[in-house]
Amino acid sequence: MNVVVIGLSHRSAPVALRERFAFADDRIPGALQALRASGLAAEAAILSTCNRVEIYAATALAPDAAGVELKKFLVRHGAGQPADADDAALAGDEIYFHAEPHSLHHLFKVAAGLDSMVIGETEIFGQLKAAYELAFTHRHTGARLNKAFQRAFNVAKHLRTTTNIQRGSVSVMSAAVELAEKIFSSLAEHEVLVIGAGETSEKTARALLSRGARGVIVTNRSPQRATALAAELGGRAVPFARWPEEFEQVDIAISSTAAPRPILDRAQLEPLMKRRKHRPLLLIDIAVPRDIDPAVSALDNVYLYNVDDLQGIANEYLALRQEEVARCETIIAAKVAALLAAKPPLAADEPS
Amino acid sequence: MAWFTDRHCFLLAVTLYGLSTLYSAFLWRKGFRRDEWVNYCLLAAGVLFHTLAMTKRGLTFHSCPVNNLYEATTFLLWALGLACLGYSLLPRFKFLAAFTAPVLFTVGVFALMPSLDPPHGPKPDFSNWLRSLHAATILQAYGAFGLAAVAAGMFLMQRHDLKFHKLRALLTLLPSIQRLELITFRLVAVGFALLTLGLAAGSQLPRHAGKPYFSDAKVLWSALLWLVYLEALVAYKLLGRSSRTFAIGIIVAFAYLLLTFWITNIYSGLHN
Repeated sequence: MNVVVIGLSHRSAPVALRERFAFADDRIPGALQALRASGLAAEAAILSTCNRVEIYAATALAPDAAGVELKKFLVRHGAGQPADADDAALAGDEIYFHAEPHSLHHLFKVAAGLDSMVIGETEIFGQLKAAYELAFTHRHTGARLNKAFQRAFNVAKHLRTTTNIQRGSVSVMSAAVELAEKIFSSLAEHEVLVIGAGETSEKTARALLSRGARGVIVTNRSPQRATALAAELGGRAVPFARWPEEFEQVDIAISSTAAPRPILDRAQLEPLMKRRKHRPLLLIDIAVPRDIDPAVSALDNVYLYNVDDLQGIANEYLALRQEEVARCETIIAAKVAALLAAKPPLAADEPS
Repeated sequence: MAWFTDRHCFLLAVTLYGLSTLYSAFLWRKGFRRDEWVNYCLLAAGVLFHTLAMTKRGLTFHSCPVNNLYEATTFLLWALGLACLGYSLLPRFKFLAAFTAPVLFTVGVFALMPSLDPPHGPKPDFSNWLRSLHAATILQAYGAFGLAAVAAGMFLMQRHDLKFHKLRALLTLLPSIQRLELITFRLVAVGFALLTLGLAAGSQLPRHAGKPYFSDAKVLWSALLWLVYLEALVAYKLLGRSSRTFAIGIIVAFAYLLLTFWITNIYSGLHN
C-alpha cells in the first residue's frame, strides 16, 4: 500500500483553475466515500484551501495507474467542472502527482508551511489538521494515512521549534506589533492613536489591540468615519484638529492620511515630547506621501518607521525563512526515510 | 590538595569567565537569537569557583575577605557575578551573562596581579560589626553599579538598532528597551542605597588621630562617587534627563569606578 498525493496548488495553477477544483467542506465526506467505493484508494483525505486542492490516498494500485485514475477522479469531482473538462485538465501540467517517497516529502513540506505562498506560515497546519480530522472522523483513514499525517504534524512542530522557518513578522502589521513589543515592556499600559482611518492602519491597530494594547483613539478628517472606526475598535474618536493634544497620553501613533505634506514635523513634536517627559514614542507612518517628517527620528526616544521600513523588515524575515528552507528539507528527508524504514514489509499481493 | 590555594580557585573562575567572554563574542555575532544556556552555565561555574576562592580565604582569616586590593576586587566581582546569575533567570535576561562576562574577565585578570595581593600582616580586626557592614555593603553597591552599567549597555545597543531600523533589534532575544531602562534605574537606586549605607557605616569607624576625615583619598573618592550617582538619579528622575544620556552616564560612572578604585585604595591611609 503506497501513500500518494494528487492535486494542484498556487505553484502549479492559477486561481481561476484552482477554484474549479476546490471542494466545499460539506462535499468532502461524500467525495471521500466515492473515492473509496471506486476501489482507487483504501484510505483518503482531501485538503481544499484557497491555495491548494490535494487528495492524499493510500492505494494498492501501482503508482502510474494510481496517478491516471486519481487524476480522472479529481477532474470529475472538482467543483464547477464543465462536462468537457476532462481532456483539457488532464493535458496540462497543472495537476501534479507524487508517489512514495515524494508524496510523504510533499505532505511534510505542506504541514510545515514550506510549500505555502508565504513560506513558514502556520495557517496551513491548521487546515491540514482539519482535513485529516474530517477524514478520520468519517473513518476514511487507516494505519497508513494516520501514521503519515501524525508524523507530518510532529515534523512541522519540530521544525517550528528547532529552525527559524516560522520566525518573525512577514506582514507590515505584524512587523509594527513586533516593534512595539521591543520598545515597550507591556502593551497593556499603552494607548494607540490612529491618524487617518485607512485600511492598513485599522488592521495595525487591531493587531496591537489583540496583543493587549490598552486602548485606541481615532482621528480622521471625516468625523463620521473616525467615530465609526472608533466604535468598531472599542476606542474613542477625537476631532482631527485636536489630535496633537492626545500625544501626551499615547505611546504608539499610526498615521495614514492622504495629506500631500507632512502633518507632523520636528518643530511640532519637540515640545510634545517634553510634555510627555520623553517617554518612548513609536510612530508608524504608512501614508504615501509620508505624514511624518523623517527629521523627527533625530529626537530622543522617538522611533519612526515608514511603510518601506516595515516592508523591509517583513522582506528580511522572508529572506531569513528562505535561508532555512534547505535546513528544513534535510530534516524532512531524514524523517521521511525514518518513516519508510519503519514501514511493514509489502504483502505478496501489493504492488511495489 | 594544600597546594591548591584560593588564588588557584580564582584563576579557574577567571578562566571560565574568559571562556564565557569568548562565547559571548560568538553570541554577539549571531545576534543573540537563540535561547542560550551555555553561557549561563559557564558563568555559573565561574561564580562557583569564585565563591570557593573567597570562602577559602575567608576561612583562613575567619573574617570577610576584604583586606587588600585583591580581596576587595574579587568581592566586587563576586557581587556582580552573583547578581548577574540572579537577574539572568528573568525572562529575556539570559543574555545578561554575555554582557557581564567581559567585565568579570578583564577585571579578574587585573585582580590576579601579585602586587595587588601582598601577604597579610596581623589578622584584621572585624570584630566591629560596623566595619564588616561598611566593607560588604560598599562592595555590593559596586556590584549593583556594574550590573546597571551592563544593562545600560544592552539598552544602548537595542536603542541604536531600533532607532536605525536594524533587523537585529527584532531578532535578538533581549528585553524591551523600556524594561532595560527600568532595570538600569532600579540597579542604580539599589546600588546608591547600599553605597549610602556603607559610607554611613564607614563614617562611624575609628579614624587616624589628627588627620581630617575628608583628607583621606578613599573618603574623598567615595564622596565623589556618591555625588556622581546622586546626580545621575536626580537628573534622570526629577529633571527629565533622557534615557540615553542616563545610560551613558551610568556606564561612564562605572568605568570611573573601575579605573580609579585601585589608585585611591593605594593612597588611602584609612584603608592601608
